[in-house]
Amino acid sequence: MITIDLLKESGADVESGLSRCMGMEDFYLSLVVKALQDDNFTVLKEKIGTKDYDAAFEAAHALKGVLGNLSLEPMYTSICEITELLRARSDVDYEPYLKALYEQKAVLDEASK
Amino acid sequence: MERNKIYVNGKRRILVADDEFINREMLEAILKDEYEVIKAEDGAIAYDVVKENKNTLSLIMLDLIMPNLNGMELLARLKEDSELKSIPVIVLTSDHKSEVESLHKGAADFIPKPYPEPDVIKARVRRLIELSEDRQIISATATDNLTGLFTTEYFYRYGEQWDKYQPDKKMDAVCIDINHFHIINERFGMTAGDHILQILADRLLEIFPTDDCLVCRKTADTFLIYCPHHEDYQNIVDKIDGIVTDIAASIKIRVGVYPCCDKNLEIQSRFDRAKIAADKIRNNYSVPVSVFDEGLLKTELYAEQLVEEFPNAIEEGQFQVYFQPKFNIEGDKPVLSSAEALVRWFHPEMGMISPGKFIPLFEENGLITRLDEYVWSSVGKRIADWKRRLGVSVPVSVNLSRAEMYDPSLISKLDNIINENGLTTDDLYLEITESAYVRDSSEISNVVNELQEHGFFIEMDDFGSGYSSLNMISELPIDALKLDMYFIKNAFSKSHNTKMISIVIDIADYLGVPVIAEGVETEEQYLAMKELGVAVIQGYYFSKPVPSSEFEKFLTEKGEQD
Repeated sequence: MITIDLLKESGADVESGLSRCMGMEDFYLSLVVKALQDDNFTVLKEKIGTKDYDAAFEAAHALKGVLGNLSLEPMYTSICEITELLRARSDVDYEPYLKALYEQKAVLDEASK
Repeated sequence: MERNKIYVNGKRRILVADDEFINREMLEAILKDEYEVIKAEDGAIAYDVVKENKNTLSLIMLDLIMPNLNGMELLARLKEDSELKSIPVIVLTSDHKSEVESLHKGAADFIPKPYPEPDVIKARVRRLIELSEDRQIISATATDNLTGLFTTEYFYRYGEQWDKYQPDKKMDAVCIDINHFHIINERFGMTAGDHILQILADRLLEIFPTDDCLVCRKTADTFLIYCPHHEDYQNIVDKIDGIVTDIAASIKIRVGVYPCCDKNLEIQSRFDRAKIAADKIRNNYSVPVSVFDEGLLKTELYAEQLVEEFPNAIEEGQFQVYFQPKFNIEGDKPVLSSAEALVRWFHPEMGMISPGKFIPLFEENGLITRLDEYVWSSVGKRIADWKRRLGVSVPVSVNLSRAEMYDPSLISKLDNIINENGLTTDDLYLEITESAYVRDSSEISNVVNELQEHGFFIEMDDFGSGYSSLNMISELPIDALKLDMYFIKNAFSKSHNTKMISIVIDIADYLGVPVIAEGVETEEQYLAMKELGVAVIQGYYFSKPVPSSEFEKFLTEKGEQD
């Protein structure tokens, strides 16, 4: 189960995220769980794989907004890097960036089971 | 069309359009205590929600990247729609470039992602709704519902702003009036009248484009325009003529211009001057444009002073009644037959004020009724006094203005004067100008009929100046025709042609009434009138209008002759 402490340990700026949820911990945690289930994580990987950078950018951009609002560091930093590369439609090796993002996500996924 | 603001459960309604559930939920959590939040998960749904709630929505918070219809496209669609464009939009974005672009496209503000502190969001939302509501109120009061032009107050305010930022630009104050617009309303109805005003307003906006002109509807049919100086006023005339031709042939517009305004004057005073110029040509259909000059202002100020002084003048007896004798010339010797009462104003500071200056003015503003009643009453008392002291009198005719003909208590007022002074209707004649008969002839005729049946002797004054038709004259209730003095002037000034006078005498003969000739000044004129068969003459040949004391000499003489 994801807890405030776990989020803090993983690097999230819980104070900022909670503030945007008017200090309601349960509400904040429920949104974090919802964010981890966001389809855009899957879409992003797929679209980068097929080099459909337009669709990949949209997915990354959406995730950036959500992760930013929940202050889910370090995932937010990773998605910002990916978003900016995709905004420029850079044909680079995205694997290291995706790996970092999904490893960070995996920590929280594990906790939320 | 302005939206009617309806408060929902005491809260303003806000739409949050974002395809991300988390972002929508988060904003709702921040705003729901103060606002009713409705949500949409893509652009197309958001558009439908906006249309459904267009009258109640206070704010739209819009994510830019959304499926189906992205935020930027939705924003463009909203701003193109006259019913939706006034709803303020806050753009939600994590992209700095989009912030500027969205503001250019009509967004009122933006909120970045990640969102700032909730208090910041709330403050920006509150400020934007307040600004928007203020703007709507201003917009509703700034423009005239019928024409969409500025209302006067805002017109003046915008004019002042204009001057502030373009102090050296030469500007004209223009006032446009439709002549006798009330007649258009009466003839064609208010709806048609309103339609004409709308067409005129649209035309004015074409002629005076809003990028460098301000146009306002001041009152019913008065329009004000503040525009860069036009050297060529004929050019304005042509443009106005175009308007006249297109709307309806019977509409005549008058334009008053105060060119290159003195910007040291209050803006309202500048348009007062344009209005003075327009009013100068009120009844002159052949001159549609009048340019203000200082002389006009002096005339206007003088007129205002006379109006202001009037109550005091009545109170202090500054008005005096003069009498001009009328002589019957049908016999061997002219015989005093009656007199006309004429009012004179002796002002303690301004001296003798010509009736030509105050009578038309008082006829226009209605003060004539009070003045005439004062004259009638003075005349009644004077005749009674003559009878008592001198044992002799003649009938005295007093003038009735057009306004008095509509007074339902006219006969009782005249009756009172007669009864209070122990007179009869044979003592007080009534002069009614021909032009009064021509306008609203049937109504006026009914009133005059009543007066005649009541016993009053009716003289049609200024006959020949009012364009009455011969057919109409034959049916009018009159006891004498008073020939307009210009007939005499014209007949003797150039051609010595008295043909027109004999035609009038023939008409009077046909009607069986005598002719009274006014303005007879010389012996030549007197003899000519006598030869032509004029019954009565009035004019300087016998006497100018004189005070009662001098007129008594004529009465005494008559008493001795009798």
